[in-house]
Amino acid sequence: MRDAKERVRLFLSERGRRARVLRDSLRRQPDRIYPSSRFVPGFRYGYGEREARGLELLKEWLSPEQFAQYDAKSYFEVTGCHSGKRYRISHGTSMNIYELDGAGRPRVGWCFVPKGYLVAGDVMLAQKIALETDERHALTVANTFFSYLD
Amino acid sequence: MARQIVMDRTGDTRHNFDAKNADALLRAEERFRELTGAGFTAAVRTASGEAVVKRTFDPSAEETLFFPRLVGG
Repeated sequence: MRDAKERVRLFLSERGRRARVLRDSLRRQPDRIYPSSRFVPGFRYGYGEREARGLELLKEWLSPEQFAQYDAKSYFEVTGCHSGKRYRISHGTSMNIYELDGAGRPRVGWCFVPKGYLVAGDVMLAQKIALETDERHALTVANTFFSYLD
Repeated sequence: MARQIVMDRTGDTRHNFDAKNADALLRAEERFRELTGAGFTAAVRTASGEAVVKRTFDPSAEETLFFPRLVGG
């Protein structure tokens, strides 16, 4: 019985060590990506560099107010060109747009993205331009989702 | 030097061209037509920083950004 307990202890200890090694190696990888993206051929390599370039491009196109907001909170707000409604675009590549109510609280989620596999900066920039220049079309193609933010 | 930036799976592809060169301008206009014909949206920034969508080629634009057709996510 004592021998069996010792073997279980050694087994768990070895598994824990392997898990720590795996975790540390993943943390060191500069090109970590979302698991769903790893099946797209050629998408993974240089992802970190592309992600940074996309964010640079986004920041060039943001207004000073939007830039400051994004820098501080990882989201920025835009005004729909047709309705005048305010939308919050959070950092991400999908399900990242929230229509805000009069008090600035997220109410409805909108999901539309440029076709293809683009980095977050590119996706957010396309969403911003779409809402600011052709809101109706953007919302026509969009799907809605329940906003859990408040 | 004028620039056309095309969002794609590589991040973006940038095409720099001399807007004073007639051949370069012609190639840029052809690229504009090909991309918008394929569903890309072309946008430029005004002096105040506001984004404006362009349906036709603007030879005076210093930077034109193209992003793919929007789809529901």
